[in-house]
Amino acid sequence: MGKPKAIVERELCLACGGCISVCPQDAITMIARKASVNKENCIGCEICIKTCPVAAICWEGN
Amino acid sequence: MEYDAVVVGSGPAGSVTARFAAESGAKVLIIERRQEVGVPVLCGEGISKQVDDFKVLKGRRWIANNMDGARIFSPDGTMVKLAAEMAGNETGYVLYRDIFDQELARGAIRAGAELMLNTCAVNLLKENDKIKGVKARHFDEEIDIKADVVVGADGVESKVGRWAGMKTTLKPSDLEICAQYTLTNVDVEREYCDFYLGKKIAPGGYVWIFPKGNDVANVGIGILASLSKPGLATSLLDKFISSHPELKKGEPVRFLAGAVSVSEPYESVRDNLLLVGDAARQVDPITGGGLMASIEAGKIAGETIGRAVEMEKFDKEMLSAYEKAVEAAFYKKLKRNYMVKEIMLGFEDKTLNMLADSLKDVKFDEISTFGLVKALVSKHPSLLMKLRPLIKAARV
Ligand SMILES: Cc1cc2nc3c(=O)[nH]c(=O)nc-3n(C[C@H](O)[C@H](O)[C@H](O)COP(=O)(O)OP(=O)(O)OC[C@H]3O[C@@H](n4cnc5c(N)ncnc54)[C@H](O)[C@@H]3O)c2cc1C
Ligand code: SF4
Ligand code: SF4
Repeated sequence: MGKPKAIVERELCLACGGCISVCPQDAITMIARKASVNKENCIGCEICIKTCPVAAICWEGN
Repeated sequence: MEYDAVVVGSGPAGSVTARFAAESGAKVLIIERRQEVGVPVLCGEGISKQVDDFKVLKGRRWIANNMDGARIFSPDGTMVKLAAEMAGNETGYVLYRDIFDQELARGAIRAGAELMLNTCAVNLLKENDKIKGVKARHFDEEIDIKADVVVGADGVESKVGRWAGMKTTLKPSDLEICAQYTLTNVDVEREYCDFYLGKKIAPGGYVWIFPKGNDVANVGIGILASLSKPGLATSLLDKFISSHPELKKGEPVRFLAGAVSVSEPYESVRDNLLLVGDAARQVDPITGGGLMASIEAGKIAGETIGRAVEMEKFDKEMLSAYEKAVEAAFYKKLKRNYMVKEIMLGFEDKTLNMLADSLKDVKFDEISTFGLVKALVSKHPSLLMKLRPLIKAARV
């Protein structure tokens, strides 16, 4: 299984860029005005999840 | 497509850089991934009147309201009033940030720069490890834009620096996470920007009320990402508004989420590349205000590019003139304010209340630093210990 991965709920994201600027893996990119996690690089550190001002990021599968 | 400089991002940093580069003879292209410059607005929209000194804006359409000063409220509600000159880079005008950004972009275009909307940089263009421009996506089309200098003016999430191998990732304790409503139907003090401090109100940050005139105000919050939980910024802001007698009558016409760095400035130059504005973390770490710094740094960056084009030299040594000049212009202040931010973070609400109580009757325009310290300490002697590191920082 390995560590869980972060995932962005696209409808909730307001494109503030906060999660992108703190992701230690550079795993998040803005695509078509929504943040998007590249699962390959995500290490599940949770930083982006805690950072999001509108709670748009959660664990995949939850 | 071939240019002397390609600027990624049409925010204040990008447009001002492009303008001064174009004015000094460079062939410049700005690319912007949005479909409209300045929209959506991601800003509290406060700025110092010093912006007028830079003469980069025409007319007055971008001004929503004039401010006399700021009022700072400590956790127990004690108010300290500051005149605009004392209150830092966010007090003076309240802007229409969309019009503001568009006016700055217009200035760049008048100077000869080109602007391409709906165009997102996706990587650097490299040949044998040398930066040759950017790869971008314009709708479904991938395009290569060749340029001698790439300017990363791509804001807080900046990727341009990372593509060049610079470590621009922020520590969560160096990022403010923001949410803001623009409320109508609120009758708030029109001449003052209000700031509310306190661990319960906004951990590691503050709530602001910036009146835009008529019955409109920006009411926002910034909290430190290291103290954040999912959605906390928005829920704390909602709580603040619903417990405020006037604001709770308001109706939102806009809601935004934002992020701004409160770090020390980062390295900003490589061969054929420089970073400007939020991308270079040129933001006041106490207030989170970055508009003035973006404009000041953008002017210097543009002029440096002009000289580089003239001398046909684009290596790090040449472009470092930009970094040296911004360091001389305002990095000392940013570094000092970073120290102050770190010290203030350790303050309990009780200390902030004591500080405010000591300062509430001080006439700031008349007082010397020594007089200020005396005023602080004579009322609450225990403040001296707490403030010692601050006084030290102020001397640096
Ligand atoms: C909620 C909030 C309130 C604030 N309030 C104030 C305030 O009251 N006063 C103040 O002085 N400062 C304030 N700031 C800070 C201020 O907004 C920034 O310092 C300022 O916007 C920095 O300008 P910039 O040009 O560096 O970046 P930005 O204005 O962020 O511009 C970056 C541009 O680059 C574009 N871009 C990004 N990536 C790409 C790409 N790959 N390809 C193409 N284009 C791209 C973006 O779309 C954007 O248009 C606030 C910030 C926030 C978040
Ligand atoms: S969990 Fe950590 S590594 Fe994964 S996307 Fe979020 S910040 Fe990046
Ligand atoms: S922090 Fe949240 S709102 Fe901001 S870009 Fe990331 S997912 Fe979107």
